[in-house]
Amino acid sequence: MDWTPAPRRPSAMRREQNLAILSAVVSGAVVAGGVILLLLARVYPDTAAGLRRGTADLVAPAWSLLRAPFDGMGRLADGIGDYFGAVSRAERLEAELDIANRRLREARAGMMELRQLKALMRTRSPERTVIATTRIAAATSGSVVRSAMLAVGSDDGIAPDMPVIGGAGLVGRTTEVGRHASRVLLITDPLSRVPVIIERTGQAGLAAGQGQPTLLLIDRVGADVPLLAGDRVVTSGDGGVYPPGVLVAVVVNPRADAPVLRPTASLLGAGYVAVEAAFLPIPKAEPEGPVFDAPVPVEARRRGQPAPRLRSEAAGISQP
Amino acid sequence: MIAPPPPPALLMTPEEKRRWILSSWRYAVPALVSVGFLLLMLAPLPLVVPAMPQLGLMAVLAWALIQPGLMPPWLAFLVGALADLLFGQPLGVSAVCFALAAGTLRTAAPLLGKGGLLFDWLLISLLLLAFMMLTGPLMALAGRPGPVVPLLLQWLTSILAWPLVARSCAAIQRRLSATTPRWQFG
Repeated sequence: MDWTPAPRRPSAMRREQNLAILSAVVSGAVVAGGVILLLLARVYPDTAAGLRRGTADLVAPAWSLLRAPFDGMGRLADGIGDYFGAVSRAERLEAELDIANRRLREARAGMMELRQLKALMRTRSPERTVIATTRIAAATSGSVVRSAMLAVGSDDGIAPDMPVIGGAGLVGRTTEVGRHASRVLLITDPLSRVPVIIERTGQAGLAAGQGQPTLLLIDRVGADVPLLAGDRVVTSGDGGVYPPGVLVAVVVNPRADAPVLRPTASLLGAGYVAVEAAFLPIPKAEPEGPVFDAPVPVEARRRGQPAPRLRSEAAGISQP
Repeated sequence: MIAPPPPPALLMTPEEKRRWILSSWRYAVPALVSVGFLLLMLAPLPLVVPAMPQLGLMAVLAWALIQPGLMPPWLAFLVGALADLLFGQPLGVSAVCFALAAGTLRTAAPLLGKGGLLFDWLLISLLLLAFMMLTGPLMALAGRPGPVVPLLLQWLTSILAWPLVARSCAAIQRRLSATTPRWQFG
């Protein structure tokens, strides 16, 4: 396969051998360096996060430009397809509209009741705010990590740990955010855990990704009601990232040890997604530095460390 | 040869020196093509299963077969590190795998001799399987253990995609070798 001619002169052969030895040594060193990098990533998981953000910044805008013509062609094909079968679709839609109107009347009555009850209880619920609406620019369907990239970043107000919600359901949450791009950890990633609640039975649990198209429902607690195939699984709002009531998945296999769920949103490539502000961002509970009962002398302070605080001050800071 | 070794610097005419500097991008072609395949893997296809073939690794392997001198293991390591950054993996997982795969191919190719296309295909599919099985332990070493079985489908699509990658790399090699600059040696 190699088209480079083999050397004939002895000195050239010797040079070739030396180069081969050198390259073997360099290769070994490089692989050892890679293993050291992995160990570093184990101890400090944020290793190279800046580099990852930078590459995402470069790649995601390019892909969002590249996919624009394909999206346009898809819309054109949809527009042509819309003209066929319009009558039958209109009849079906009218029938659906009747059902929906009936449900709407019921829901209005329920809403009024709920408003009165909430006024009685003086509940205050945080608002959901959409930060950005965009398409998924790039996806990693060829890797053990299931993530996607959005072509919006910190310049558009995106921050880590914001929920990403598609039209049909939950997509994931942002993890690493660059200036013009952000990475989304999809709910199918093995690291993803979404606090959920079963709409019909009220059982709470976690929807865990496993790197496959389906999710597993783990740590289920609540009344011992058997699940049914087709049960809707929505976010519970626990943990503060995802707002409550967002559809996540439907149950497809309720009999398994850990029930199997299928996400309702198509996670990659299709449709627009909205990035919302974290529902209830968890405040930093840990104090910045150590807290002391008595003032610390200047000699005992270390340079570069945060100033030692008194317990009374720390309590005063954490109160509001 | 897409990038011939340069003539001794003393013997180069100014014209040849200029051509030598202008043709130095040819050394980077294998790495750039591999990076291009990596970027292709990021296409936002609405795939439900992780079925995107390992185009980046296959391009590295194809270049390690066609031009071993221009795809040494350390360059494969750099390409793999870029793959880690692009796919959001811990830095080093793909890098170590790519470097090991290129090194294995480099040591194995002279021992196995010149096989046919089918033999290469078999060798590459075995290497891809080894890569897939190595990913799990390396991810665990980086502190993010996860299931590797979903990669099995990716392995199958990769095997199917190998002729495409190998042929496109070979086409680039043919196109470039037809326009290689020649030196007169004074």
